[in-house]
Amino acid sequence: MASRTAWITAAIIIIIIIGAVAYYYSGKKGGATTTASPTTTAPPATTSPQTTQPTTTAPPTTSPKTTTTQAAPPKPVLTGNVEKDIVAIGKYLAYHGIHEAKFSVASAGDPNSVMRVYAIVEAAYRLNKILEKNGVDFRIKITTNFRRGGGDKLAQDFETAFQANKNPDIMANSYKWIARFAEEGYILDITPYVEKYQSFINEFYPSLLKAVEWKGKYYGIPQDTEARPLYWRTDVAACIKEKTGTDILANLYDKVKTGQVTWHEVYKYAELAVKTGCSKWGVLHRKGSAHPDLIQFIFAFGGQLEDPKTGKLVVDVPAVYKWLYVEWKMAREGLIPKDMMSWDWAKQIHPAVVCGKTLIWIGGTWHWTEWQTKPYCKGRPLTAEEVKKYFYYTLFPAGDHGDKPVTLSQPFVWMIASNAGKDNKEYNKYKDVYHMIAFLLVVKASDPDLIAIHSIISAHLPVTKKAAELINDKTWVQKLANLQIELSPEVKNAIADIVKKTVNEINVEFLANASKMLEYTKLTPMHPLYPRLANIFRDAVNYVLLGEMTPDKAVQYIISKVKADPELSKAVEIKGEIPKNWQFP
Amino acid sequence: MNKSRLGTILFFLSPALALVLVFYIIPLILAIYIGFTPLRDWNLKAYLGKFTTQSYQYLFYLLTHDPDVSKVVKTTIVFTTVTLVVNVLGGLALALATFFMEERVSLTYRSLWLLPRLTPVAVYSLLWYYFFLGDASGTLNSLLLRLGVIDHPVSWGTDPSLQPEGSWLILIVVNGFVGVSFGMIIFYSALKSIPREHIIAARIDGATTLQLIRRVMLPQIRWHLVYVTIWQLLSLLTTFAHIFLLTEWGVVDRWWGTTWALYVFNEAFTTGEQGVAAAAATILVAIGAVLGIISLRLLGFKKMMPEPRGEL
Repeated sequence: MASRTAWITAAIIIIIIIGAVAYYYSGKKGGATTTASPTTTAPPATTSPQTTQPTTTAPPTTSPKTTTTQAAPPKPVLTGNVEKDIVAIGKYLAYHGIHEAKFSVASAGDPNSVMRVYAIVEAAYRLNKILEKNGVDFRIKITTNFRRGGGDKLAQDFETAFQANKNPDIMANSYKWIARFAEEGYILDITPYVEKYQSFINEFYPSLLKAVEWKGKYYGIPQDTEARPLYWRTDVAACIKEKTGTDILANLYDKVKTGQVTWHEVYKYAELAVKTGCSKWGVLHRKGSAHPDLIQFIFAFGGQLEDPKTGKLVVDVPAVYKWLYVEWKMAREGLIPKDMMSWDWAKQIHPAVVCGKTLIWIGGTWHWTEWQTKPYCKGRPLTAEEVKKYFYYTLFPAGDHGDKPVTLSQPFVWMIASNAGKDNKEYNKYKDVYHMIAFLLVVKASDPDLIAIHSIISAHLPVTKKAAELINDKTWVQKLANLQIELSPEVKNAIADIVKKTVNEINVEFLANASKMLEYTKLTPMHPLYPRLANIFRDAVNYVLLGEMTPDKAVQYIISKVKADPELSKAVEIKGEIPKNWQFP
Repeated sequence: MNKSRLGTILFFLSPALALVLVFYIIPLILAIYIGFTPLRDWNLKAYLGKFTTQSYQYLFYLLTHDPDVSKVVKTTIVFTTVTLVVNVLGGLALALATFFMEERVSLTYRSLWLLPRLTPVAVYSLLWYYFFLGDASGTLNSLLLRLGVIDHPVSWGTDPSLQPEGSWLILIVVNGFVGVSFGMIIFYSALKSIPREHIIAARIDGATTLQLIRRVMLPQIRWHLVYVTIWQLLSLLTTFAHIFLLTEWGVVDRWWGTTWALYVFNEAFTTGEQGVAAAAATILVAIGAVLGIISLRLLGFKKMMPEPRGEL
């Protein structure tokens, strides 16, 4: 009896569960179809594409079978002319009954870097305008996803989303992901397109184009970059001048540029600052990682990180040793804190720099505006005038006399997913064409004005010469400040507040000056195992700063760590030996 | 047992069994399987079909060649053992203390000890981060400086002369404060379920508090002791959230502050070597299983679960 009741109860429960599951899924499907239209769309199309009557030049909107009078447009090929190409593509797809293409763009960064997605929205708007002007019944729609914070999480999510075809079609992220994504086939090899768009590609700084190349092929287009200046406190320098008569800052930019002031001199200046009591520390630098700021030491001492011939990573022993020696010596003399690698950004590092507790700060261009927005000293942010007053900046000086000064960039680049356009009609049939649209979107997003706007409002450096010229154009900058430039209403709206806060003469002047540093810029290798090597460098720097290892022990540590990792040992060459007669300072 | 009875049992167990299958058995099988593939960068299409033992070879090579990886192993052993003792004995001590308190005081006191568990991991870790910060603004440093115990700020988790004990101590303190509350709750409720007559009788017979605890109370909560010990052991082996934040923020030494579970996480999500991570995780599961079984044996689990004497 009990058993029968149990069976009946169980049967009822199962039916309810099945019913609930079925209801949930039917609801989900319905939901998906109603929300399918993108939230962020670019084109203010005059009329709905479906109802537009094609003009005489436009292909028919009905099925190709009914077109008896017009020949089918040929399959488009890129020619290097954006207008011609988008029109050809639009006509081709419209002829085959496709009147809209959807693309998604994703990126990440500080809140001022929204142009990393809105440039694509604006690009779609501009391409749609061309299509409209030419009477082509085809439009591009964009959905955006911008995250605050670093791009690493976004890149990792991109990888996992790719497995389920849910990844963004276009992504602006650090160039460091290119090797990994290219190796796994996640991003599009755009070499054939780039070959057609030679004049477009020639506008970019050549040093930055290295950031989008992997094994001789192009996998992206530079989006923005930065430089890492050495900031010098003018008040500390003035104090040193008053007490000792040494004028550190006199013509310093040029002295660093010509290699007259090297790390040997920097050491002496730092020592002066601390000994005279003008500042507590001589030099401060980032915490927690050797990449990318401290890697500059390797380049400054004439070393390399990658062998261009073999493509292998390199531990350049003499350069690495000298770098570690500088850090070790400075920490022993109290010029740099022993526990620098575990300082707190907000409570220790920035307050010390902004309140003038150090002569030198190995920083980045973005700090210039960061100090204007965050209250690191005395409970309030600095004004633009104060930042200009307190901070002098130079390149990262040469290591020894005879070496060259450097800076280091980590460009953000546009990457196109190898399945870009996947959410569109008949994707498999017109895959190539959708890929071309994605490429044209990136080309258009690289219009000089869009790059210049992004640079100014986010304090990043422009990636093309034309954009740099625009930043130097005072009338244009003034127009931008008043938002009197040609932009889609959506993008204008999105950046209006940021423009108000950031576009001022001091910041623009800083950007223009910092852009000149790009001539000296170096990139870290794109090798997929580079992050592992950089982690070993990080531990070595920490050990020498703490005094746990001497510089030569630390070099041995690096070598033993490389050898202990079977993969790394195959991918890394150890070059050179610890220099014997080298003196520092 | 007849067939229809077995069917009924299975039927009623099926929802639970399905959950166990979906959330425990399948992930375990997947982890073991992925450990034998070269999966990296989440490229399922490219690597999931390939069989290899390279991940295990790689891990073995690291274990024998990389001194930092042996630091991870040592840290895992010390952290798990010491924190386990702290959590079980601390939980027991707290439960006993609150048991003998007046109910109102006891309730407040117990609630206070629950705070670390209630606080979000990031916030809780941040509090400890600032507590152990190696700068004069760190809470511990500023306190000791003011008391004149130290004359300059100490980097507790990173100063080489204090390692590895400094890092270990921080990990144990941070996790210990979260862990004790678990034991406290279980033990307290177990103590509360001891019939009052036993305690009253013991008191009347002149038992001291210590005797009462040793002879009357502890024997009656043995089962709970076994449960909490094994539970804590397994969760300490696999915990990494607080530890991840503390190493990431640099308040403890990167290697002396990394446990095996965190190493698995870093391999999977930082270096992108999911095959290696899965192999490392499989090793951890195997160790956890062996330790679990050993503890059940040692603590006499079977003896405490005798067959019921009466008819069912």
